[in-house]
Amino acid sequence: MALFNSPARVFIAATALRLILLVYGGWQDAHSAVKYTDIDYMVFTDAARYVAKGESPYARDTYRYTPLLAWMLLPTAWEGAAPWSTLTFAFGKALFALSDVLAGWLIVQLLVRCYRFPVERALRYVAAVWLWNPMVANISTRGSSEGLLGVLVAALLWATLTKKPILAGLILGLAVHFKIYPFIYGVSILWWWDAERDGSATVGSGLLSKALEFITPSRVKFTVAALASFVALNLVMYLQYGQPFLHHTFFHHLTRIDHRHNFSPYSTLLYLSAAGGAETRFEALAFLPQLILVVVALPLVLAKKSLTTAMLAQTFTFVTFNKVCTSQYFLWYLILLPFYLPSSSLIRKPTLGVSAAILWIAGQALWLHQGYNLEFLGLSSFVPGLFLAGLLFFVVNVWILGIIVRDGGEGAGEITVALK
Amino acid sequence: MKRRITFIQHVDAGFDPQQAVLTASSLSVRDLDAAREDRITVGLDELPEELRAVLEQSHELHLRWASERSFDAVAPFSSRVSPGLHVHYTPLNSESSSEALCTLLRTVVAPNKDAQYKDCSKPEDSFITTSLISTRFASSASLQYYTHLPSPQSLVKYIQNNVCSQSRADGPECDTRANALLSADSVDIDYDSISHALTLSGLWTSPPTGGWTDQFHKSASAADQIEFGLLGAEAGLEPEEIKMGGLLAVVGQDEKLKPTMFSFPSRHQPLTEPSSYTVSFASPTGLHPTMFISIPRSSLKRPLAPSDATCALHTYLTLPSTIFGDQYQLATTDPLFLESHNLVALRALAGEMDLEAPDWVVQRWGSNWLLELATPPEAEDADRTPDPSNWTATIPLHLRYLPPSETGHRTVHIPWPVVFWACTTEDGTKMGVNPFDRKNIGWDGLFGPRTMSYQLQPAGDHLVEEIDVPVLRIEAGDGYFQSKYIEFGTCAVISLGFMWVLWRLVRVAWSSGVGNKRAEAAHNKRE
Repeated sequence: MALFNSPARVFIAATALRLILLVYGGWQDAHSAVKYTDIDYMVFTDAARYVAKGESPYARDTYRYTPLLAWMLLPTAWEGAAPWSTLTFAFGKALFALSDVLAGWLIVQLLVRCYRFPVERALRYVAAVWLWNPMVANISTRGSSEGLLGVLVAALLWATLTKKPILAGLILGLAVHFKIYPFIYGVSILWWWDAERDGSATVGSGLLSKALEFITPSRVKFTVAALASFVALNLVMYLQYGQPFLHHTFFHHLTRIDHRHNFSPYSTLLYLSAAGGAETRFEALAFLPQLILVVVALPLVLAKKSLTTAMLAQTFTFVTFNKVCTSQYFLWYLILLPFYLPSSSLIRKPTLGVSAAILWIAGQALWLHQGYNLEFLGLSSFVPGLFLAGLLFFVVNVWILGIIVRDGGEGAGEITVALK
Repeated sequence: MKRRITFIQHVDAGFDPQQAVLTASSLSVRDLDAAREDRITVGLDELPEELRAVLEQSHELHLRWASERSFDAVAPFSSRVSPGLHVHYTPLNSESSSEALCTLLRTVVAPNKDAQYKDCSKPEDSFITTSLISTRFASSASLQYYTHLPSPQSLVKYIQNNVCSQSRADGPECDTRANALLSADSVDIDYDSISHALTLSGLWTSPPTGGWTDQFHKSASAADQIEFGLLGAEAGLEPEEIKMGGLLAVVGQDEKLKPTMFSFPSRHQPLTEPSSYTVSFASPTGLHPTMFISIPRSSLKRPLAPSDATCALHTYLTLPSTIFGDQYQLATTDPLFLESHNLVALRALAGEMDLEAPDWVVQRWGSNWLLELATPPEAEDADRTPDPSNWTATIPLHLRYLPPSETGHRTVHIPWPVVFWACTTEDGTKMGVNPFDRKNIGWDGLFGPRTMSYQLQPAGDHLVEEIDVPVLRIEAGDGYFQSKYIEFGTCAVISLGFMWVLWRLVRVAWSSGVGNKRAEAAHNKRE
């Protein structure tokens, strides 16, 4: 298709899609009692309004994010007359949508520069998975901040693959400050950035020299930069907003109960145990399988073979094994798919790919049907409906994860040209 | 001890002088077709120790109980609260708030088998503090509590066991009077530290079959007094006034019933034209039930308040902790949202506002919401045939997660809200001179002291909505729904999934190590 010959066309189309959705969203908000804008966006903008008044963003209930987000959305708090206020209100959504497009652009750059993709092929994958994906455009234009995470992860990859350890570290610190989960990428990147990639290869055979060899300049720079930016950001926020900042951005996520139904396989168990009906405390150990895979096993085995596939597998595992999982979490691994898919067995063997897609969608649909029965029809579908649907979806995800791991072992999504 | 017995006869109810006979020591009524209010005022020293202990630590304590049955609130008793037990409490000082009130509450509420109530060890645990966002004048007790209570049975038993058993001669009489509360439509108990007296009032808005037949004897003790009134009420000369006329007597003092006529301003006014509303939930309720308040359009005429008064239709919701509103959703100023629900604005809210907590984590009893309702636009052509459809305001609400049950459902009880017009009155109107004045009913504190209210009549057999909430189904025996299946099922599936991914990783590591793909490939080639 001629469309994919020109990056300009692809990006203009992606931008146009988002612009149309932004305008449409503004129109729906103004004309219907059912709003296009996400409820989270109301939380962000309320928090921004508090900040504009010189108060803490945590004055808004359920604001569980870094103050940075509220600061960024300060223009939404500007008062103005009718057309002006509509524009300022949409500022955050436009920012999120722009981040989407920027993330897509970074991924295309990486595919072309580091993975030696022909431009057309790179555009095709990134458009299909991210830029033209209506779900991605919908989520950011409704005002969910996940798009910001996308651009941070893309930038992290870009800085890493173009060997800018300090920049990569700074971005990682920021990303973890923003949303805790990107810390998992730190482990992969660290393991990946060995002496050979660093260009400082010195071959020794003793245990001590092996250990010393591990400490490459890039690893040190990356670690120090990441810690510095993470600590600095938290320090600034803590000095500004104190305990509520720590509580809402970090501790809340560690202590929340998550008794409500969601895609996580733990969901029913957590409801049971939160209500005091469980005899065992399995859920207290839920972090074990998740962290063993995500922080130790996956980076160790896969990161050096293919960094992006390792990161994809990590994200996929993190979401699949998490104690809470909602559809926004699926966006987290979407941004990494364009690296993996082109050389994956899901594309090479269409039957496998189509089966995986069908099973994943069917698992979702089954769960959503049970969820609808509960939420809207008031049927007691917790057991067996939601319980089994959650476990089935987990099984499908684990199976797909197995495929990603095998592909990763075979070098799918590996950089095809060595960069010095 | 002082008793006041008031019978309120409807204007067109028949009355024969033989139906009320006063002698030197007693008064008897026969087959009287009337509403009735009994009010007993007792000094602190006449009360049992336990109760006195609670009261002595109170600045104010007001209990309001209303029946779930529909009843006709007649003037001057035209105010209503949502069915159930409401407690308004201000401790004498902030440290004195005690466990005794909670103990008392447990005695009054807990014996009901299906009682859904939030227990407390101190009132601060489960009571709520009053209004969060009301910017209006607020005068109400500092702590407030509500619970579903279909019958005042345990309250009656408490009075019989603790109060009646103490009194000497009139023990049996006391028992009978307490028993009569079982058929009352509403019961009020008031105490404040200024008067040092406890007042208990029961209201029966309709007589038992055949009318009231009763006899009231002058008490042996000179301090005790029985006031009797047989009255009718009608609109006063001024719109804020109620005019009452009839017969009054003090039993044992007066020789005959004295005709009387008096009028007074009243904060609670009857609506002159029949006006009713019904409350329901859209079916299926799911986890996000929508409350419907339906009012026949004919019931929406502005009350006969002074023409310069501003009047607005309000509803006051009393929501147990199991159900809640989203304050951010309801406090919106978005005209599209408000219009689609026929709401004007959220005027006040108080209590448990957490949007995420399950019910078993919530300690406080629930929340109160004062919403102003929209009224239909004035018909351009008054002669047109009236629109037969109802005017419906809708309030989107949400259910909390409830503990698992054997059936997979739990029933929650949601009392019908009260619906009323609130109108401003001229400055200087003194509502306090009303001998039948009623304050501390929750929403009255959210309006200025000179606001008049006109309440609509809830039209239904049962003024409490029941919602079946889906919960996790767990059986105790050996059925299919055992908690251990969930526990072990989850554990097994996740362990297997974990092993599977680990196995995949081991195979990768086995065949190509953990190092660089390129290096491995080069290494393999060398071999």
